[in-house]
Amino acid sequence: MFRFRLSSARAWRNVVTAISALVDEAVFNIDPEVLRVRAMDPSHVAMVDLEWRKEAFDEYACDKPLSLGININDMLKLLRRVGEDEVLDLYLDEAAAKLFLKFSGKYIRTFSMATLDITGEEIPALKVTFNTKARLTTKCLLQTVEDAATISDNIRFEATQEKLTMGAQGDMGTFSVDLDRSSEALLDLQVKEPSKATFSLNFLSQIVKAAAPSSDIVTIEFSTNIPIKLSFEIPQGRLEYVVAPYIE
Amino acid sequence: MNPGGPIPPPKKSRVLDPSTFGFELAKIVEEPAVLSDLAIREGFLRFQAGEGASRCVACKGARMLCGKTRCPIILRVSSFFQVVPKISSDTLAGSTPPGVFVGRIGYPHVYVGPLTPPILGDTTLLDLPELWIGRKIEEIVAFRSMLVRGKTRAKVSDVGIGGRLLEAITELALASKPVDLELTFDRPPRGSMLLDDEVQPFGPSAIVKKMKVGNAHWDRSVQKVYADTDLKASEAVLTLYKEGVLVTKIQRAFSIGAFGLKPQRRLVPTRWSITAVDSIISNALMAKVRELPIINEYRLYEYDHLDNRFEILMIPSSWSYESIEAWYPKTIWNPGGKEIVYFGDYEDYGGRSSYASMGGCYYAARLAVTEHLVGEGRQASVLILREIHPGYILPVGVWNVRESVRSALRNQPLKFNSLEEALGRIAERLEIRLETWKRVSRMLRLFLHQRRMGDFLEKI
Repeated sequence: MFRFRLSSARAWRNVVTAISALVDEAVFNIDPEVLRVRAMDPSHVAMVDLEWRKEAFDEYACDKPLSLGININDMLKLLRRVGEDEVLDLYLDEAAAKLFLKFSGKYIRTFSMATLDITGEEIPALKVTFNTKARLTTKCLLQTVEDAATISDNIRFEATQEKLTMGAQGDMGTFSVDLDRSSEALLDLQVKEPSKATFSLNFLSQIVKAAAPSSDIVTIEFSTNIPIKLSFEIPQGRLEYVVAPYIE
Repeated sequence: MNPGGPIPPPKKSRVLDPSTFGFELAKIVEEPAVLSDLAIREGFLRFQAGEGASRCVACKGARMLCGKTRCPIILRVSSFFQVVPKISSDTLAGSTPPGVFVGRIGYPHVYVGPLTPPILGDTTLLDLPELWIGRKIEEIVAFRSMLVRGKTRAKVSDVGIGGRLLEAITELALASKPVDLELTFDRPPRGSMLLDDEVQPFGPSAIVKKMKVGNAHWDRSVQKVYADTDLKASEAVLTLYKEGVLVTKIQRAFSIGAFGLKPQRRLVPTRWSITAVDSIISNALMAKVRELPIINEYRLYEYDHLDNRFEILMIPSSWSYESIEAWYPKTIWNPGGKEIVYFGDYEDYGGRSSYASMGGCYYAARLAVTEHLVGEGRQASVLILREIHPGYILPVGVWNVRESVRSALRNQPLKFNSLEEALGRIAERLEIRLETWKRVSRMLRLFLHQRRMGDFLEKI
């Protein structure tokens, strides 16, 4: 048995959007305490780790752990129909292998969709140490990746004790943004060692765009030529992404 | 190191002798063909090369980027074929292969009509590019030039209501075997070869006044989707493809407006219909490819056709696709250039939503590649490198790419354990330096520089 209620159906749309940045299909691992999705994109360059504890829901009920295969694209299609101030009740009919999404606003609408018979791959833990940790506004990061995308396919992150620099370089020209400790967009910067790494915007833009509706604050962690971790702050949960580096 | 066996020595490139055409290539390529003040749209050319030359590669006689109403390169080349068709009568009896051509000039008011040679009998070969692989460019041009294009004006929405002539043209277009025709024109057919980068060439044309049609036999499957006016056009295409109907036949029926919901049926200019069909089929195949297990090794398929040199690299990774063509100076679309002009398009796992800048070849090759992967039940990232050497003096249509890639994939691939080894072989086979390919290819850059998550995770 699995069901939950959210007083804002939009919140669930944001969750599904956040996952859609990397995968078309995903396995939700659900137990009585927490709902979790951990998945890698098909080319194995990036991964998403999402966790919503039961406190994040208005009502949450699950009697035993279960895995739920969901077509993310299809679910997003349904969730695009969500109106302002609608309440979402989601429940699973295990026997029929069907999910029901009930939107309650001025009147009640119910969608059903089939669950997928897929098994998620076991993704081991990350074995890297980060030398730089920066906390900044999602707005700033979103604008930065979009600016960089006009110039190049890649974006470079560079950190020193004084500042965080993000930049790109392309045939057309260059772009860079410097955030020093006085910047309003940079909330915190911890640098153990100066770090520098480059990442594909193909992944980074999609991720930041998809996560932006869920969170206003993001923490990025990186070191020279290892993956970058982006942790978007959400209440009663976790929304993290890791992207492997592009070695120039 | 190389499970595919010993590596054969690189084949020597075969350059066609232009003198076999009865004219000197130099006449075509002497001067930079197109130079004008028309601005090129931003982003149109991905790689800059010699002035003028790259614009022609982008345009291939279709987009009129130089601002002239007819492509000067096409005009110059086709003028040498003025003498080919000798038809002095205003009547013609022959068997259409069957073939039809729908023009695009004046859209939505277009010319449509049958392609018919002055020969009675089995003319199937003349309009079935699936049978042309391995034939010389001269031979293809020679038999295509016999095809007389009969035409009548129609509005693209006239399908089903355009009168008896259009109806008769539709019926013969759907025939499975050649159909005998007696055509009466308004005047003896005139004009030179039509040459186009996407459409296979054909001969002179005239307005059809009267047409007598012999017996036409239809493929049952074609007849069925034609009669089904509740079936969407794309579903009709896929249905026929699954039933083994040749792509050329599907494309012919598509252009004549034989598919789709009744009120939506339209004539589709031949040029567009080719890419539409390639795109519809390969999109459906791509969806299957994404579900399949990934190949275990790096593979290389090699092929030469009409002085085009193909290297098809398959990388053991999830689906992505890139096609790059390199036009040598003195090839048709780079006549005055001093440097090789590169043109390419890439799509990642998710596919693409914008039209590929290099045009129909991109989709034709994608069809051949996905068809192979689905047939084998495997997934891979596929990179096509195509060097177009100066022996490719005439545009013959995108079928050349589709059938070349299909032929390449019918061969046993060379197999390698690493990308470096596969690239080593490419460096031996292709003239263009590997460093250049690495610079031009987005896929190579990604695979050479993009690390994967597996390198940074604990072992299970």
